[in-house]
Amino acid sequence: MKKQPHINHTWKGIAVFSAAALAITACGPDTTGGDAEEEAADTDWSEVEPADSIVFATNHPGGSEDIEEELIERFTSETGIEVEVITSGANYEETSQWFQTGGGSNADVVVLSDATWFPNYLNDALIPVDDLLEAADIDVNGYVEALYEDYLYEGNHYGVPYARSTPLFYYNVDHYEEAGIDGPPQTWDEVAEISQTLVDEEVAQFGYAFPPSDEYPAWGMANLVWGYGGAWSDEWDFSTVSSDETVEALEFAQSGVEDGWANVAATSQTDDFSSGVASQTIQSTGALNGILETADFEVGTAFLPDGPAAEGETPTGGAGLMLASASSPEEQLASAMFIGHMSSAESQADFSEATGYVPSHQDADMSDVYAENPQFETAVDQLERARVQDYARVFLPGADLELATTLQSLLTTGDDVRTEMERVESEFESLYETDLADEIEG
Amino acid sequence: MRAQPVEAITRGMSVTTTDSRSAQTAQDRPEASPPPEQDAGQLQAARKRAHRRRSSKNWSLFLLFAGPNILLILAFIYYPLAMNLYFSSLDWRLGAPRAEPVGFANYQRFFTSPSGLEVWRVTGIFTAGAVLGSMILGLLIALVLNKKIPGRTFARTAIFSPYVLSGVGVALVWMFIFDPQRGALMFILDRFGIDSPQWFLDPDANLLMVIVVYVWKNLGYCAVVFLAGLQSIPRDLIESATIDRAGPIRRFFSVVLPLLTPTVFFLLVTNIIFSMTNAFDILRVMTPTGNGTNTIIFEIYLQSFGQFNRAGYSAAIAVVLFFTLFIITAVQLRFVERKVHYQ
Repeated sequence: MKKQPHINHTWKGIAVFSAAALAITACGPDTTGGDAEEEAADTDWSEVEPADSIVFATNHPGGSEDIEEELIERFTSETGIEVEVITSGANYEETSQWFQTGGGSNADVVVLSDATWFPNYLNDALIPVDDLLEAADIDVNGYVEALYEDYLYEGNHYGVPYARSTPLFYYNVDHYEEAGIDGPPQTWDEVAEISQTLVDEEVAQFGYAFPPSDEYPAWGMANLVWGYGGAWSDEWDFSTVSSDETVEALEFAQSGVEDGWANVAATSQTDDFSSGVASQTIQSTGALNGILETADFEVGTAFLPDGPAAEGETPTGGAGLMLASASSPEEQLASAMFIGHMSSAESQADFSEATGYVPSHQDADMSDVYAENPQFETAVDQLERARVQDYARVFLPGADLELATTLQSLLTTGDDVRTEMERVESEFESLYETDLADEIEG
Repeated sequence: MRAQPVEAITRGMSVTTTDSRSAQTAQDRPEASPPPEQDAGQLQAARKRAHRRRSSKNWSLFLLFAGPNILLILAFIYYPLAMNLYFSSLDWRLGAPRAEPVGFANYQRFFTSPSGLEVWRVTGIFTAGAVLGSMILGLLIALVLNKKIPGRTFARTAIFSPYVLSGVGVALVWMFIFDPQRGALMFILDRFGIDSPQWFLDPDANLLMVIVVYVWKNLGYCAVVFLAGLQSIPRDLIESATIDRAGPIRRFFSVVLPLLTPTVFFLLVTNIIFSMTNAFDILRVMTPTGNGTNTIIFEIYLQSFGQFNRAGYSAAIAVVLFFTLFIITAVQLRFVERKVHYQ
């Protein structure tokens, strides 16, 4: 008789614990080990009517709140489809975190950067846009090819280019004139020569500023590595990151800092350039307006330099518009019409003028912008040399951070480049095996 | 322990009252006087009813007053804690619809990987520097502020104000100070012919820099708590020591410091917890990639949100942090408190 209450308490405890455990596991991800849900059967889009309203999640890249509102008003007046705007974060990373963690569960269209869309693809949160754009009668041939190909994976596109940027070469025209330099460099060897001259003439403390680890050096220095014939990866082959060509390119950069013609900016290469500490740098086209506002000297822009093995290709950057897989077919069709509108030639010209991003549509009329801001024409013309980024930087989780800290360390400490890049290759392999291999190969 | 006698007394009083009432009721109705066994049964039943009423009333009051708080604590502390514990046993990418149970593999990985060991090293240095720096400087400032000096109130406010400022704002201001090209510190060092260290590029300088900023922000808190401790020391003890010809240093180490040990103990516990958990804003703003400043709280962020998207692994590190703080506090309470001298 005495044990009865004890047994009751025990069973009650077990029951409460079990209920709590069930509640917890029910709220987490599926751990049953079952296969991923099969893709929904092909939708016959001709049978689908677009929804009356959709939700657009954006971090308003480049301070685009007003221009986005204007473009949305135009879309609604043309189609009758209402667009609810949600501010999804202060930047691309926050937007992706918000979308990944369920905050964006009701979003139909979301702004995701080149470096953040892939985890969302792996999470089955995005749908391919090819069929949808065709159903919405959007012509994709007008997009700048490399900018659209950024979203190509396994034969499908997962977005359209929206707020796009590339690195651009900036130089201080006043410093050039003072040192008797005629024009911007065409090659990396000329960058070194001009920089050395600028330092020797004591026109500036440094001729050229490399980016620090938090300014995406693997993006800004991709042109240098490609120019020497190297790469951060060749799709999922990471041996290129420690190839002779990549090592040679990075040794060139390292020698620049050791010889004193270049530095690694303490906080941002934009600050060093704008304040006249360094006469030249490579920074995003999106930074052009800011640099023009803060610099008290004439700013020149040029194509990224050629390397000994290749002409100066420019890596793509910025963000695109993606469609959520959780939306209904009606919402997806309406969303496809919306992203087609936002990436059209007319919209992109206005968006580019308002934000400083390069237009992703080849037919965008930028004549007004060029008249007011001639430096911007270089950025747009350079799109002919745009190249899709290496998988390692944009698809491999953590690889960009590994490259960023390694590049900063190499340039500031004089460590052996080959040894370090072989370590990076090994780290890439480890990251791939740990975080991707099962899903990519499985 | 103190609640038991009170409860026992209360219970005794209630029982007495109930017995009196029952007895009174029986006396008022002598013709219906039941046999002694029946009387005892009724008495017991009445006692049970009263107990149930009391118990029900107590429970209602308890739920009314404590219920909302308990619900909030369950929803916002224990539920996330339990969920985090569960997530730590999964190989799960942030936001992925599927995950694989991996048991303790995430913990094993953290404790055996070179990056995990590096996180411990950085956390240890940062915590030691931040706690000792804040407490030693806070004590020195409190000793000064405890004296009758002109502008003492203003000085106390000025010293404490950084503690209530936003960590992000503090970090941004200090970034301007440390900037090796344009910063205020660079100009000061230049006056003495010293080149500014590469504060933002060298991992060791990075760590020193964030410790300095954290100490600057936190020492006002330590100073104010130490000041309260100093002012609670009886004046007559100091005066007696002075009469016994003890100098200021002797008075400090033999009288003041022993009487300050409860304050030191309190600050030691809270500062260790704060430095391991509350420094994230400064670290994130001043060193966005965690280069040389990757403490355990930063690693949790980096692994889940900073590119890696490893929600399960990050959850495991969060659990490690929780138990680390739990153990440190328990050890301090068990052993350090013994040496504390309470007045």
